[in-house]
Amino acid sequence: MSFWFWHGLRKGVQSTRYPARAENTPGVSPGRPVNTDFSSAEEARRAAAICPTDAIIAHGKSTYINHGKCVHCQLCLRSLPSPMNWEPGYEWTRLPSNRAESLPLPSAFAKSMHIMVVDAGDCGACLRELKQLNNPLYNMHRLGFFLTATPRAADLLLVVGPVSENMRGPLLKTWEAMPTSRKVMAVGACAISGGVFGKSFMCACGVSSVLPVDFEVPGNPPPPLAILHGLLVVAGRKSVGPVQESPKGDTAPWR
Amino acid sequence: MAIIAGLSLGAIFVVCAGGVLFSAVLGRKHIPAVLAIAGAFSAILMALTSAAVLLAHQAFEVGLWILDGFGRFTIHLDPLSSIFLFASGVVYFSISLFVGSFLRNQGDDAHPTLHFSILYFALMAAVVLILVAGDTVLFLISWECMSILCFLLINYDPRGQSDKSAGYIMLAMSEAGFLAVAVAFLLLARSAADLSFASLRSASGSLSPQALWLTFLLGFFGFGVKAGLVPVNFWLPRSYTAAPPVFVPVFAGITLNLGFYGILRLNADLMHAGFGTGLLALITGSVTALVGILYATTDGDMKTMLAHSSIENAGIIVAAVGAFLVFRALDQPVAAALAVSAALYHMANHSVYKTLLFEGAGHVEAATDTRDMDRLGGLARVLPGLSAIFLVGCLAISAVPPFNGFVSEWMTLQALLRSAILASTSVRIVFALCGAALALTAALAVTCFVKVYAMNFLGIRRGTWEPQARTQAMSKFPLAILAVVCLLLGILPTYVLPILSESVEPLAGASVTTALVQPFFTATPQNAQLPAAFLQDFHNLGAQTGKGFVPGRGLVVLLRGLEANPVVFAMSPSYSVVALALLLVVTWFVVTRLTKRRTLARRPLWAGGIPRLLPLMTYTGTGFSNPVRVVFQAIFRPNITEDTRQTVAVHFRTAIHRQREETHVVDRLLLKPIGAAVQWLAAFLAGMHHGRLNAYIAYVLAFLLLVLFFYRGG
Repeated sequence: MSFWFWHGLRKGVQSTRYPARAENTPGVSPGRPVNTDFSSAEEARRAAAICPTDAIIAHGKSTYINHGKCVHCQLCLRSLPSPMNWEPGYEWTRLPSNRAESLPLPSAFAKSMHIMVVDAGDCGACLRELKQLNNPLYNMHRLGFFLTATPRAADLLLVVGPVSENMRGPLLKTWEAMPTSRKVMAVGACAISGGVFGKSFMCACGVSSVLPVDFEVPGNPPPPLAILHGLLVVAGRKSVGPVQESPKGDTAPWR
Repeated sequence: MAIIAGLSLGAIFVVCAGGVLFSAVLGRKHIPAVLAIAGAFSAILMALTSAAVLLAHQAFEVGLWILDGFGRFTIHLDPLSSIFLFASGVVYFSISLFVGSFLRNQGDDAHPTLHFSILYFALMAAVVLILVAGDTVLFLISWECMSILCFLLINYDPRGQSDKSAGYIMLAMSEAGFLAVAVAFLLLARSAADLSFASLRSASGSLSPQALWLTFLLGFFGFGVKAGLVPVNFWLPRSYTAAPPVFVPVFAGITLNLGFYGILRLNADLMHAGFGTGLLALITGSVTALVGILYATTDGDMKTMLAHSSIENAGIIVAAVGAFLVFRALDQPVAAALAVSAALYHMANHSVYKTLLFEGAGHVEAATDTRDMDRLGGLARVLPGLSAIFLVGCLAISAVPPFNGFVSEWMTLQALLRSAILASTSVRIVFALCGAALALTAALAVTCFVKVYAMNFLGIRRGTWEPQARTQAMSKFPLAILAVVCLLLGILPTYVLPILSESVEPLAGASVTTALVQPFFTATPQNAQLPAAFLQDFHNLGAQTGKGFVPGRGLVVLLRGLEANPVVFAMSPSYSVVALALLLVVTWFVVTRLTKRRTLARRPLWAGGIPRLLPLMTYTGTGFSNPVRVVFQAIFRPNITEDTRQTVAVHFRTAIHRQREETHVVDRLLLKPIGAAVQWLAAFLAGMHHGRLNAYIAYVLAFLLLVLFFYRGG
């Protein structure tokens, strides 16, 4: 005899209250480095040199972070005498560098959005974080987000992975098969910039070289709440995070 | 009326003979035209003859010459044979036009010879003779002619390529059936004055129950062979598949019916078969229906599959006949009338839609040179007209309203449900189980014909065949006639039932018109059969819509019950088709209004993002029917061999070749044991032939002594 309903009632609601309330449980996000002003240019250069993915760029005494490349390896936090600043949080969704603005889906989709996920050469990490959204803790269905297996019924194309050569065609076909109110969201550093795979003859170096990307969720992998924030942004229920400052002084996020 | 019937009956034979004559005179080039014109003309005469008998409300009888030792040949055309003759006329009309146009399309080298023409018209005459025969000898002679002509037509193959074994199996079974039928009639005739049906009928009352059972069993076997009943139907799929496409419709639409005619004539008319025989027929029919549809659903060859479906329909008809025999033996005339009219209705329906489907299959085979449903596909684009007509046939045979299959299957199931009025619980259980089997059959029939239509006409082309749109518009005309008949039989049951009632009343002892077609249009308030309150209720439901300008008694089929349950069942396909059409129009208006501002974008087919969708990757008929195959594995008992080719290691498979062999359940359970027993016996007896001369001389001596011993007295 199973008492699952009794156990369920006794445990109460375990799902996160996000987005109604901020989720501050320790461990929900690995955090990420942010732009830091050091006391000397030497310290800034050392910080840039230690980054294995060239996500940190030194400019005078300041370092700038390209979150599209950062893999949260924490070398710049733990292996430097004067570490980079580190921010907790997860509301990281941003616009691609080639876009001044992206409109969310029309308001009819705000409470009902169907998502088609395409694995374009993902290592599995982003997919695993994405899968967490189905579990009772994050439970994206309560927000009206549903995964679908057919592009004909999908409103959002969610791409993970750097777009390997073999997945370029299927990805384009999927995009073409979707109804035209579609949005494209690149999730993870690989999907944004090619990440640790970079550009090669078998790898397209990010989704934006194949499709027009509307929103990006940086992180490698981004935690589930970051992806959930991205979905809320696409649905028009949240806005994109503050624009990162870049070395040349323009405010567009850069890669 | 009798004069019209007699003249047109004679004219049928004259036209048939004329057809042969013209074929011989005009030469090979004109034979298709002669087949079409003379065939259609004599088909019209068949319909005219039977209509004359049905309208005259009296049988047409004429005595012919007297044959020494056999008595007088008589022609006797009563309402029962008229119904069959009328159905044959309608179907033959379409078949003759189909044969003509089909052979014309085939090109000059495929033109039939005079040989084919003779066989075709001779078979037509033999069929008519069977239906009008009024005595045993004429009946049996024409039955035998029909069997032999069928055999010759199956093997009619001017190029001499086909396998002849199917024809021989059929001939062997037909002859066995013929012998059984002959013995059955002789048993009946033992105490009769002569061999005419009339004296057999009057003599059958004095038969003992054992003799009745024996006659029933022999007749059921003999006619069951022709009707395709389990377990004597193994010849049927084989020979339908082997027969030339121009001839299969005759098989399915004409000669199959003769089996039902024989069963009804012998058991319902000539003798009063008892209660047990009815149950046997009911169970056999239900099992036949289920086995037939199971193999129809899983077979991949279009003709074989349609043949299995014919077996299924034969099962439904015989189950209804069985229910009729039980009801009649238990003195339930109304239920008996319902059951037998369901059987006759379904017989007519089956010959119409199965002929249509076989003609369609013939056109498909001609256009694509294949019958394999795993290789066909996308024909709706190549042959749009044929596709629409074929769809009507598929809907009709799947018992989807407003087409004819629905009415008769519904009546059959209702007749089985009427077992509620029977007293015996065990009989009710048998009826319930058979009803469940028939309901399952009906459900599987839908699966089966969804598969047939979808796999052949929808999707993309899967085979290597090149579509040849050889069929001209004219050649679809015979199919279109049958499609229209399907619709008419489906929406006008209240006009068909009174016609059937003519032949049902003498058999069942109750009029199906009075029982089922309630006089909503003609009733007066004082009518005893329809009380005013009842009439008012149904008036409010709309049962009197059309009163005054629609002829007939009404458009509602309704069986009245007792006080507690005033309506046993009711339906009106005529009103529902109007309602459905209105709903369709309204829906169309609403949808077009709602979507007026929408734009339509056409994108390529979504196939999971694979680089190229190869035709072989698409869903096949085998895949579609696989669930049925898995669920009924206990019946199919497949023999699967798997051959895996691998390179390097177990995980690197280059090819998996899977072969599946099935032996039909009848072959497995009946033919194989018989074959094994015969071989065992032969091997045992062969032990005598060891080659020693002394022993052979001893055998001769022993046999001589034996003979002398038996004849010692004489």
